[in-house]
Amino acid sequence: MNDAPIIVQNVTRSFEGPPVVKDLSFAVKPGSIYGFLGRNGSGKTTTLRMLAGLIKPHAGEVRIMGNDPFTIGANERQWLGYMSEKAVIPAYIKVGSVLKLGRDLYQTWDSALAEAMLAKYDLSPRKRFMALSQGNQRLLGFIMAIAPRPKVLLLDEPAANLDVVARREILDDILELIRDCGCTVLLSTHILSDVERVADEIGILAKGNLRVSEPLDSLKDSIRQVRFFGFKNGAPNGDIPESFRTVRGKDELTLTLRTSSLTTPETLAQRWSCQQETRALSLEDIFVELSRS
Amino acid sequence: MYFLNPSSGVPLYVQLQQQLQQRILAGQFNHGDQLPSVRDFSAELGINPLTIAKVYQILEREGFVETRRGLGTYVSHQSPALKIEARRRQIGPALDQLVAEAMHLGLGEKEIQALLSDKFRQFKPKTVKPNPHE
Repeated sequence: MNDAPIIVQNVTRSFEGPPVVKDLSFAVKPGSIYGFLGRNGSGKTTTLRMLAGLIKPHAGEVRIMGNDPFTIGANERQWLGYMSEKAVIPAYIKVGSVLKLGRDLYQTWDSALAEAMLAKYDLSPRKRFMALSQGNQRLLGFIMAIAPRPKVLLLDEPAANLDVVARREILDDILELIRDCGCTVLLSTHILSDVERVADEIGILAKGNLRVSEPLDSLKDSIRQVRFFGFKNGAPNGDIPESFRTVRGKDELTLTLRTSSLTTPETLAQRWSCQQETRALSLEDIFVELSRS
Repeated sequence: MYFLNPSSGVPLYVQLQQQLQQRILAGQFNHGDQLPSVRDFSAELGINPLTIAKVYQILEREGFVETRRGLGTYVSHQSPALKIEARRRQIGPALDQLVAEAMHLGLGEKEIQALLSDKFRQFKPKTVKPNPHE
């Protein structure tokens, strides 16, 4: 994992109170998209701000392309694209001037890409930032983050306030960046359908720590909700495998569990002399089950 | 046209793999046909290129396609025996569900067999094959 472009290791950070992020560790593989999920206040933005080098962790360390984002100079900053949760662009500045600023700051700035995206999203360079709709303000932030063709892209709720079409388009833009230059993306969002379309790995953050961090496919392949019923000798009391959620009903037992070659719904049904009915869960179901428990 | 539902509990790669497999088994693709490149397919479907690469890997392992270095991914020759085996595997999950449902409802093997035979009769085309000489 040492070659991972994004590394978070045993990081803790608080703001005048209990830690917002607690002993958090994960890494994002080169060229992949990591879907960073969590409810409001779970610590997503704090983690991204630490990775962008805006706030320091109180314990542990973060690394971008092997460097501490807090000490890197202008050259290494060229690799890092960051779209913050809130706009930090002055209200009266014009769209064209914002892009000029980007062009002057980044040697790798792709003017053609920036122009093409302005046209695609119908943003006039003559408009002042404050005159843009909330969605268009987000889009401008997105253009600023990807026009330098970064090696690492940190996106904090990029799709907030965007309509469905614009959301789908920025996902396509992200994918294109990955295909073109093998960019590594950390995508924080609570719009799960977006993540399901593009993410390789998923991290679900709850109370400052990750409940899961693994490939989306393996998550969907392994987590199942199983309803056991028709017990010949009554429902089991002990000897129940670890479950994210357990619901008991009249002569039935429903478990949300991680299946493996050893723990399958079939082997459990055999052990308890009962029948079972299994259902695969969508990411939304998994997210709710894991965030609640 | 591929129908992908990212919100389904079935992973995207499984959905795409099954749909490609079905098309190959149904003869929609022929031996030697080239599949879209990972890059193009990712752009067309709006999904992660790694997902496409994974599907191609699985299809290659199962003998449906072959990768020619630097050229692309091509549909490989399917022996008739392999085709039958693959078709049986493809219908496996539907059979599992049928049997599970039947047991749940307390319907026995004989009853299900009878019901299946009825269904087959219903689905069989009623009209006689058109005569090519007409």
